[in-house]
Amino acid sequence: VKDVIIKPDAPSALLLEKHADYIAAYGSKKDDYEYTLSEYLRMSGIYWGLTVMDLMGQLPRMNRQEIIDFIRACQHECGGISASIGHDPHLLYTLSAVQILCLYDSVDAIDVDKVVEYVKGLQQENGSFAGDKWGEIDTRFSFCAVATLALLGKMDRINIDKAVEFVSSCMNFDGGFGCRPGSESHAGQIYCCTGFLALTGQLHLVNADLLGWWLCERQLLSGGLNGRPEKLPDVCYSWWVLASLKIIGRIHWIDKAKLRAFILACQDEETGGFADRPGDMVDPFHTLFGVAGLSLLGDERIKPVNPVLCMPEDVLQRIGLQVDLLS
Amino acid sequence: MKLYSLSVLYKGPTKSNLLKAAYDLSSFSFFQRSSVQEFMTFTSALIVERTTQGSRASVKEQEYLCHVYVRNDNLGAVVIADTEYPQRVCFTLLDKVLEEFSRQVESIDWPSGNPETINYKALDVHLAKYQNPREADAMTKVQAELDETKIILHNTMESLLERGEKLDDLVAKSEHLGNQSKAFYKTARKQN
Amino acid sequence: EVDVLVQRVVKDITNAFKRNPNIDECGVIPCPEARYNRSPIVLVENKLGVESWCVKFLLPYVHNKLLLYRQRKHWLDREALMDITCTLLLLNPDFTTAWNVRKELLQSGVLHPEKDLYLGKLALSKFPKSPETWIHRRMLDKSTKQQQQQQHYGETEQAGAERSQQLSDQLARTLHQEMKVCSDAACRYPSNYNAWSHRIWVLQHMAKGNIKVFHDELSSMRLWVSMHVSDHSGFHYRQFLLKELSTELSQTSACIPTIMTSPQHQSSTVPSSCSHNHSHTQANGELPGAEAAEDERQLGFHTVFQLFHEEMELCSDLIQSFPGHETLWSHRRHVFYLWHNL
Ligand SMILES: CC(C)=CCC/C(C)=C/CC/C(C)=C/CC/C(C)=C/COP(=O)(O)OP(=O)(O)O
Repeated sequence: VKDVIIKPDAPSALLLEKHADYIAAYGSKKDDYEYTLSEYLRMSGIYWGLTVMDLMGQLPRMNRQEIIDFIRACQHECGGISASIGHDPHLLYTLSAVQILCLYDSVDAIDVDKVVEYVKGLQQENGSFAGDKWGEIDTRFSFCAVATLALLGKMDRINIDKAVEFVSSCMNFDGGFGCRPGSESHAGQIYCCTGFLALTGQLHLVNADLLGWWLCERQLLSGGLNGRPEKLPDVCYSWWVLASLKIIGRIHWIDKAKLRAFILACQDEETGGFADRPGDMVDPFHTLFGVAGLSLLGDERIKPVNPVLCMPEDVLQRIGLQVDLLS
Repeated sequence: MKLYSLSVLYKGPTKSNLLKAAYDLSSFSFFQRSSVQEFMTFTSALIVERTTQGSRASVKEQEYLCHVYVRNDNLGAVVIADTEYPQRVCFTLLDKVLEEFSRQVESIDWPSGNPETINYKALDVHLAKYQNPREADAMTKVQAELDETKIILHNTMESLLERGEKLDDLVAKSEHLGNQSKAFYKTARKQN
Repeated sequence: EVDVLVQRVVKDITNAFKRNPNIDECGVIPCPEARYNRSPIVLVENKLGVESWCVKFLLPYVHNKLLLYRQRKHWLDREALMDITCTLLLLNPDFTTAWNVRKELLQSGVLHPEKDLYLGKLALSKFPKSPETWIHRRMLDKSTKQQQQQQHYGETEQAGAERSQQLSDQLARTLHQEMKVCSDAACRYPSNYNAWSHRIWVLQHMAKGNIKVFHDELSSMRLWVSMHVSDHSGFHYRQFLLKELSTELSQTSACIPTIMTSPQHQSSTVPSSCSHNHSHTQANGELPGAEAAEDERQLGFHTVFQLFHEEMELCSDLIQSFPGHETLWSHRRHVFYLWHNL
């Protein structure tokens, strides 16, 4: 069986201070080669960093004004927002930008009407969404579109019925969802689709028992979760799978203690941060999903996280967004 | 499923020496092949050195499984496979190769032998044929002969090492690994 | 002076492609230090290698050049744009904006789609999952198909017949090429989601309803899955093929009409068991009567039954030979489900 073995000396306590230091220092290495390599996704990177800081109660350590100015500079004529300055706008980074602005309670920093127009303009006749003007279709983008609009309180601006119809057409016999009709089920895509159905109030369309079964079969002996059968466990799937289970009301179907032990074992005791698997290199992406996963598991040192939007619940309360889940 | 290397070695009192090896590295990127090959040789030798006579073991290292059999006469063989390849078939292959080898190469030539001096040509053929275990016709026969519970399983290379010994140090010290391979080893340590 | 060095390296890469149009793989050569007076670009046996020490200069350079251009702070001509984006994408293929710059060059007609299919293939040789590379490929495939169809509509009827033969040849070539790219990427990374979902997309967009293509895919994947028994994506692909085939075949006399009516499928032949029986209707050009239609329906069902039966046998066989694979059991479950929901 493909799995990892957790060594007896793997970390078993949550090292919150280290993680906060790791994230706070991450942005100061701007000349690094690795930093350049990931610039094409910078906006999401900032969202990961800020969200995990907020979940740990450390948001004030980040440079608020600099970040807001940066986002403003990333909005384009068409309304869409890019990953960084000089890059092209895309739904992925438009959502991340709006999420960041919600954390900072300052969506007015950008032209909200234009964002809405941009999102609306990407909906296709069959209800699906393109990620940008070049037309790639993916259920990830359906999620990005409705999540962006939900955060802005503008869901009514798109054809929701059609959008739901498309996402439903991506459901598979195992209860899961893929990126397009006919594509294999994948935990990341399932997160997007169940999140989408939660935001549009259509969770009754999922077969929660069937999907819940598939999702909890992702748990391996090590306690970690994979994203598809016979793949290695990865901390990010603690989020994609666990959040989906939470959305469909089946989170109690997995072994929480074992999963917690796996997530904790993925911490780097020296540098802070989480890696995909024990012993690998840490990054902000896995750090967010490690911490957010622990929050879903009920860790009291971390703020409660919303399973649909992966943002602190208090932020969503502040903007008055409530998402109903299955029970 | 894939077999990457198959080698026959002699287990000396402290070191082991490579007698013959075959590789299939087509699935690795071109510029990594030579380093990967050096590492497979290095690993195979290390495993034979750390395996006691008359025993079989499987050692897991990242996505790979190294299966070893060292006979009582100190002749050993290692096959490196991916995790998908059936263990049982690997041990059949090792038995078969060692038996054939000891028939064709005289035992006085083992302790001082090396790939240039040893005249045994079948490894490449075996490696190619066993790529598809079902065609190699080994699936059913073995079951009876092999007691799988007697195979020792090591979950990492590290568990072969002695207290205080580190794989990184062994790599750094090795004379058989070139600079490029050592550089490759450093970058290959997982960064995901 | 770093700039001068890096400019030379970018030129070396461009020249390597000019010198050898058959480069089929790119990679980084582990090499921590520069060697005096020698280019870090190495070309051996159709493989292009970049010494690792220079990557940390090369990437930021092409990265910044492109972004300055994108912000209209620095002008680059078309040649330079192509060279810069090529180097950038071979090192960092998920740099979406660089692909977009090339999409614009394609649209303005200065870049041939073939060139980018090739560049994508090379990028995938090192980064077989790269989502943006796959996305770019779909855009290329879509626009090539559109172009072909547009040309087709412009023709007179007579020229049309010839054209449509050409078209289906072209289509067959494109299909073949895409399948090969997917297979290579699937071998490089197990359960490669992006490679397999691209493969599905290609069939949906270029071979919809073409039983022959689906059937060939099913047979040619047989050995592959037998050698990759934990590759869930590969088995999912078989499930997809089976589902499409069974839907097509079990619809009333679906076998012949779908193949005969759509112009792009004219060159197709039905699977052997099927075509043999139908040769008479094709030969005298008569439309099948009610009786023949019923025969056909039966035949369709028979073929489908045969397909499922063979699949279950393959599955049993693999489960026995390779115990303990979740993928195989999940496949069995799915095939059984498909069969019973015909
Ligand atoms: C608000 C949040 C948290 C996210 C925004 C919404 C998005 C974009 C979610 C992405 C979800 C995700 C991970 C989708 C899966 C993408 C995919 C099909 C990956 C393919 O997987 P492989 O590249 O084969 O890698 P694995 O080996 O990990 O499966």
